[in-house]
Amino acid sequence: MRNSWLVAKRELKERISNSAFLWMLFIGPIVSLFLIYLLFKAGDEGKSTLRILIVDPINLMDTKIVAQEGKTIDYYFTDKYIEVEEFRDSKKYKDFDALMEVNEKILMNKKAFIFYRESPSPDLKMQLKFQLERRVEEVMIEEFTRLSVDEFRQIKQPLNVDFRNVYDPKNEASDMEGWVGFVFGAIIVLFVLLFGMTILRSTTREKSNRIVEVLLASVKPSRLMLGKITGIGISALIQIIGWIILISLGLFVFRQTIFPDLFDLSSWEGIQVTSDVQQQIIDSTPVGRYNQFIELIYERINFGYMLIHFMLLFVLAYFFYGSFFSAIGATAGTESDGQQFLFPILFILGFSLYAGYYAIILPDSQFTQWMQFIPFTSPVVVMVKIAQGYPDGTYYFAIFSILILIVSTYVFLSIAGRLYKNGILQFGHQVRIRNLISWLKKS
Amino acid sequence: MLTVNEITKSFNRKFALDTVSLEIKKGEIYGLLGPNGAGKTTLIRIINQIIQQDSGTIRFDGKLMTEQHLRHIGYLPEERGLYKTMRVLDQLIFLAEIRGLTKSEAKRNSLFWLEKFQIQDWSKKRIEELSKGMAQKIQFISSVLHEPEMLILDEPLSGFDPVNVELILNELKSFKEQGRTIVLSTHNMRSVEEICDRAALIHASKKIAEDTVWNLREAQKQGEFFIRFKGNMISFANSLWIDFELIDKKEISDSRFETIVKMRRGNKIYDLLKALMGNVEIEAVEERFPSMQEVFIELTKEKEVEDEK
Repeated sequence: MRNSWLVAKRELKERISNSAFLWMLFIGPIVSLFLIYLLFKAGDEGKSTLRILIVDPINLMDTKIVAQEGKTIDYYFTDKYIEVEEFRDSKKYKDFDALMEVNEKILMNKKAFIFYRESPSPDLKMQLKFQLERRVEEVMIEEFTRLSVDEFRQIKQPLNVDFRNVYDPKNEASDMEGWVGFVFGAIIVLFVLLFGMTILRSTTREKSNRIVEVLLASVKPSRLMLGKITGIGISALIQIIGWIILISLGLFVFRQTIFPDLFDLSSWEGIQVTSDVQQQIIDSTPVGRYNQFIELIYERINFGYMLIHFMLLFVLAYFFYGSFFSAIGATAGTESDGQQFLFPILFILGFSLYAGYYAIILPDSQFTQWMQFIPFTSPVVVMVKIAQGYPDGTYYFAIFSILILIVSTYVFLSIAGRLYKNGILQFGHQVRIRNLISWLKKS
Repeated sequence: MLTVNEITKSFNRKFALDTVSLEIKKGEIYGLLGPNGAGKTTLIRIINQIIQQDSGTIRFDGKLMTEQHLRHIGYLPEERGLYKTMRVLDQLIFLAEIRGLTKSEAKRNSLFWLEKFQIQDWSKKRIEELSKGMAQKIQFISSVLHEPEMLILDEPLSGFDPVNVELILNELKSFKEQGRTIVLSTHNMRSVEEICDRAALIHASKKIAEDTVWNLREAQKQGEFFIRFKGNMISFANSLWIDFELIDKKEISDSRFETIVKMRRGNKIYDLLKALMGNVEIEAVEERFPSMQEVFIELTKEKEVEDEK
């Protein structure tokens, strides 16, 4: 094993001294953080304060929209009728960002137009819509009913039919968590592919520059293969840990500096929202969904639990698939031959992502149950299921999947070792199934 | 030191080695000769446990060869290969470490050899920055770094200029003086004559000859003598009459000739000298042994004729 470790150290040193490795270590997390930032920021785009002029010739709104004045939206009222063109072109109205006309028809057809000069942010649009809706509702209650506002809203509350799994009555699992698991699974696939390609290239390079013969005079082929996979794997692990640390730091900085306001709905000044109303907003609005995303990232995901499983599944998936990449590199007669044999692996990796997606959509389906045990797909599917949360008493499914993956990895490493041993000193040949079978049969 | 006993190896039902046996003694330089594709490299790979024989055994110091013995062997394959982007010193240290040296030993020995070959300036260079000959030197150093008891060198002189060929041959002689054993697979017959004690000829997967270099040459001698004399060429030729045959002649200065004469009708060297004395002034006489090149060609031809029959 000493020589395997020496080979692993050499591979590791070669990888980490490569400038591309260092670039990836920093650029990967920076790009990821930038994408997360864009995703968060998309909810905060556009104009962030509004001065809105409400044309209300019949004084329907009684010159008020909200009880308390807010900092982000200022309402001004006029009883004079103003054309859109006049509002747009007249210097008199240039300080106003938007124009809204209110008349008696609004109570019947529930249709209002807001003409803006510059599109407000989705956040502001939502606040505006919400405040106007509630004001129109108050006017309607006063006009058409004898109920108090609170009574009306109690009656108005729709029946909330919620479908829940009998194994998850508290509805702890959700699509959003599943997607987080999927992202973890996709990272496993991405790294397996990237570093699997590195195994393939490194093996074919050693083979083509013939240093492999010198190495084989000191190191057993299977140990050489294991050393190579391990060394490249450690570099992958360093890369992943680097990503995790940098992305975590980035998320922490985001939380501290940029996104606390987005998460806090009480920042919608002027409106006192109760928790059930807040939940309705969350469920029904884009802004709510962004907040849900932020809440998911910062509050609902148990990153410690996820990361332990992620690391374990990554290591196993890497060795499992690494054995294939290594065997392809060793048995290929030429580098282009090796590339051709990659397609089946790429297809399988792609399929494992599909299986993960399927597990999000239909977590309890027969297909998902099978895919979580098949070692080709289990790393992604188990990651999704772990993120969704295994229902009480069924975590042993995950353990069983991991055990199957461990055994399969061992078996495939042995098979790959045999192909590696018998193929590594064959040059310039066409890989044929017949050859592979005969190499597998040889001791 | 190394006993190869009836090794057989076939690839795709074709023999690469057919019951080949060799006995390599401690402290000797052993030549492994044969045309391309004869099976030399396969045999060397089997000795180095890079590939497995179908049958037969290999013993190292009387014991069945195991992985443990490999650290006592230095191997220079015919197809040279080094990590192109790795620095020379790092590469040497790595290759010495996998042969069992500690890192500090590996570094010390690497620096010693770089200094010995006066190439210490290369230590920080990447292999891709070196010429082919330079890389060959590094490869040679990598095979001797761990101070092996036995060196197996497959075409060690190919790619070297005459100066470096001399350098390597001197190193090999010095290894022999230190009591180390060397197995040399080469097509460079001059070096075989110069440094090998014994040699085996492998042809078409079989060993067809094995002996000391002198015995191999002697076995192929044709009863020819080299004679340098001063005098008249016609007198010389007349003296030979029908008992001797003049094979070759060359005038090297005024009335001074170098000739090759072959014995006929069972005559010996003293019969020739008796016939020549008084007719020409003999300056040098030497029995002519075939070169290893000629032995090699003769033996392979004989084998081919035999196989055709």
